Amino acid sequence: MDFIARKLKVVKAVALVTYKEWSAYRTHSMVSIFVGPVYFIVQYFIWSAVYSRRTYLNGMELSEMLTYFGVTTLIGYITMDFADWNLQMLVRTGKFLTFAIRPIHHRFFALSQKIGHRILGLFFEFIPCLFIFVFIFKVDLRPASYFWTIISVALAFLMNLYMNYTIGLTAFWLVQATGVRRVYLLLQGIFSGGLIPLVFFPKALQKLLLFLPFQYVSYVPAMVYIGRYTLADVSVPIPHIVGLQAVAVIVTALFSELVYRLSMKRFSGVGA
Amino acid sequence: MLRKYIRIYLECIKISVSTAMTYRLNFLLDNFIMLVSNILFPLVTLLIYGSGAEFPNWSLYEVLLIQAVFTMSTAIANIFFGGVLWVTMRHIIEGSLEIVLIKPVNCLFYLVASTVEFGSLTLFIGGVVMFAVALSHVGPVSILMILQFIVLFLSGVCVMMGISLIMAATSFKWVGNSRLPEIFDSIKYFGRYPQNIFHKAISAVTSFIIPVAMIGYFPAAALLGEADFTAFIAILPCFVFTMGGVLLFRHMIRLYEGAGG
Amino acid sequence: MAIIDVRNLTKTYCTYKRGSSFTDTLKSFFHREKIIVNAVRDVTFQVDEGQIAGILGPNGAGKSTTIKMLTGTLYPTGGQISVMGYTPFRDRSTYVNHIGAVFGQKSQLIWDIPPIDSFHMNKAIYSIPEKEFRNTLNELTGMFELEDVIEKPTRVLSLGERMKCEFVMAMLHKPKIVFLDEPTIGLDVIAKQKIRSFIKEMNRQGVTFILTTHDLEDVEQLARKVIIINHGQKVFDDTLQNLKMNLGQKKIIRLVLSKPVAEFELNGIKVIEKNSDYEYTLEVSLENNSINSVIKQLSEMCEFSDISIKELPMEKIITEIYENGLKEA
Repeated sequence: MDFIARKLKVVKAVALVTYKEWSAYRTHSMVSIFVGPVYFIVQYFIWSAVYSRRTYLNGMELSEMLTYFGVTTLIGYITMDFADWNLQMLVRTGKFLTFAIRPIHHRFFALSQKIGHRILGLFFEFIPCLFIFVFIFKVDLRPASYFWTIISVALAFLMNLYMNYTIGLTAFWLVQATGVRRVYLLLQGIFSGGLIPLVFFPKALQKLLLFLPFQYVSYVPAMVYIGRYTLADVSVPIPHIVGLQAVAVIVTALFSELVYRLSMKRFSGVGA
Repeated sequence: MLRKYIRIYLECIKISVSTAMTYRLNFLLDNFIMLVSNILFPLVTLLIYGSGAEFPNWSLYEVLLIQAVFTMSTAIANIFFGGVLWVTMRHIIEGSLEIVLIKPVNCLFYLVASTVEFGSLTLFIGGVVMFAVALSHVGPVSILMILQFIVLFLSGVCVMMGISLIMAATSFKWVGNSRLPEIFDSIKYFGRYPQNIFHKAISAVTSFIIPVAMIGYFPAAALLGEADFTAFIAILPCFVFTMGGVLLFRHMIRLYEGAGG
Repeated sequence: MAIIDVRNLTKTYCTYKRGSSFTDTLKSFFHREKIIVNAVRDVTFQVDEGQIAGILGPNGAGKSTTIKMLTGTLYPTGGQISVMGYTPFRDRSTYVNHIGAVFGQKSQLIWDIPPIDSFHMNKAIYSIPEKEFRNTLNELTGMFELEDVIEKPTRVLSLGERMKCEFVMAMLHKPKIVFLDEPTIGLDVIAKQKIRSFIKEMNRQGVTFILTTHDLEDVEQLARKVIIINHGQKVFDDTLQNLKMNLGQKKIIRLVLSKPVAEFELNGIKVIEKNSDYEYTLEVSLENNSINSVIKQLSEMCEFSDISIKELPMEKIITEIYENGLKEA
């Protein structure tokens, strides 16, 4: 119990500090209040035109489609992650050392940091955009189930952190780690479902995506929000897909820990 | 005078090329990522048409033609004016714009010339390939249509330049905001699609006020034989917009000089 | 009692030759040339509790490698380290609770917010009880007169203020041992002096300091024990006084002559600087002469209007050790 209380204190302190640190840049976050709705308007007209002669497309209605884009945008504000970039900067400047001599697992620090950073995102990106979507654009954004949606978004939050953190760890090996990061972010951008619902991809690719971790960052929570999950003609009940998502998070966390240990071995081996 | 400026410009291109050659791997990666991240929106179009849906009264290749033109314009803008924002931003954060101001050349020219960067070369080639493929599927093209296309395309490139300069000018006031381009990218988004899918009010804005329709839509429409009177009227706001960008940037520099950083 | 006990410490890196050109990088995928670097070779030393020990050495000598191994962030290739009974690299997670560190060039403070917020973060990380935190913080900020400074954003602080805050941050959890890597780098004289008196005061309260520096003033004022490392090997390990003694008794004599003199022909005297025909700086070896006889001989040889006798400065001592190694006493 005492252990958990101490951990929570660390989370609180680090999150608070990160929140204050980034508050100075809240106008940066507020760019989203403009960009999010503008993208949504474009999507609205694109899909209205596409749906003008049909009711269903790949099993989705227009209203679902619009909800999908609204929801992925909003989920993006909650789960957005910069752990990889942070970690790479620490490694490159040698400042990682100042974490190695403190009694804290750096990934736990990164998690706490992300919580602080995203609370800021909640206030300056998520809530304003939610209001614009709901009250100005009149998009129906009531989730099918608040319970499963919250769990799924929380899992996506962790998933994104563990994946990005693992990518960030490559900085211990590669001088040019930014290349890996950019290629990864590109792949994530395409295959997480942020671009277009994954059911639009060719069937063979959809089958592959079933087994890749990308969908758990964006597509899965968005479909849980909508209340219906299908990919590659496989329909999965919501509790099951959230369960799968949890398994994916655990596997990614374990993998991330493995890479972390290898990285630490290297760090303490050559002082990279 | 002009010859001096051309010499400077050529010198800057030479430096840019040799920098790219020194960091070859990075250069190739830049090019690759620029290409892939920009073909995402034609990809969405492909996926829509691949699912059996369409934009009403637009064939796949007609839409792709708009997006190919937009891609070429983006690539040209990235190469020739893409760096102005970042270099201006850096100078303002570090308070080092004086280094540029004390040079005996036009400050705006120098900032633009010294940031020529060929990271979007592959993107341009990709755009041209896409353009050629799309064009070969849309029916015969007359000489007149090509001339119209060239005029409209160049106007579109001017709009791109105007946007770059407005962004750079904004960075004087909104110091260090690396998300600035997102705002303008989101507005450019409107130029990537057939304008008749948008609400009339929106397409009026994208044609005459922030003329992003000129980047992709109007030049492509010319090749489809659909360049009407509006397209040519829209050239005027393009030049007003671009001049606005130049004047705004100059104004910011004067303010900066007055305030002494 | 030795709080740090290092025996036969060795660190060998194995790096690969990395070309810069495109073809080189391609080649390196298939065949890489191994380069073995002996960063630290067979170093043994002890530091007693409550001491201030200076580790000196030129750039790349192995100082930082040694410090990193002492903090547990780098594995040794061979040898043993015991600090307060811990083996740093093995017991790192518990060990780091008891040590502090200030790296002159790696800040722990967060750039955009006031230091006090960073302090609160470390309070949570080290689980420092509220009351203890308050007391320590008040004491430390009082010593540096930082009460107002810690409320301002870090980025507006001067380098000196920032470094003082780094010290506060490193001392909040009351570490028994503090490692300092170039702590006064880039600071002005007054800030340096403040930091030195802070270190002395904390040392009086029982904190052991391990210090690497290029600033010999730091060493002269702080360190009672000096360890010199060069090319990864320990070349000296003793008190500062003994370091000076060990190099042979030498003095610097400055002379202002009233009449020019042709040449100083005297055993054990070397002219190291000649400003004009009237001003000389001499280095005198006292191995075979007493200072008394040197002055006597000098006054027979020439007429001088002023004379001053000084210790050999640290710079000279260190340079001599780096260049020639240590003379066997």
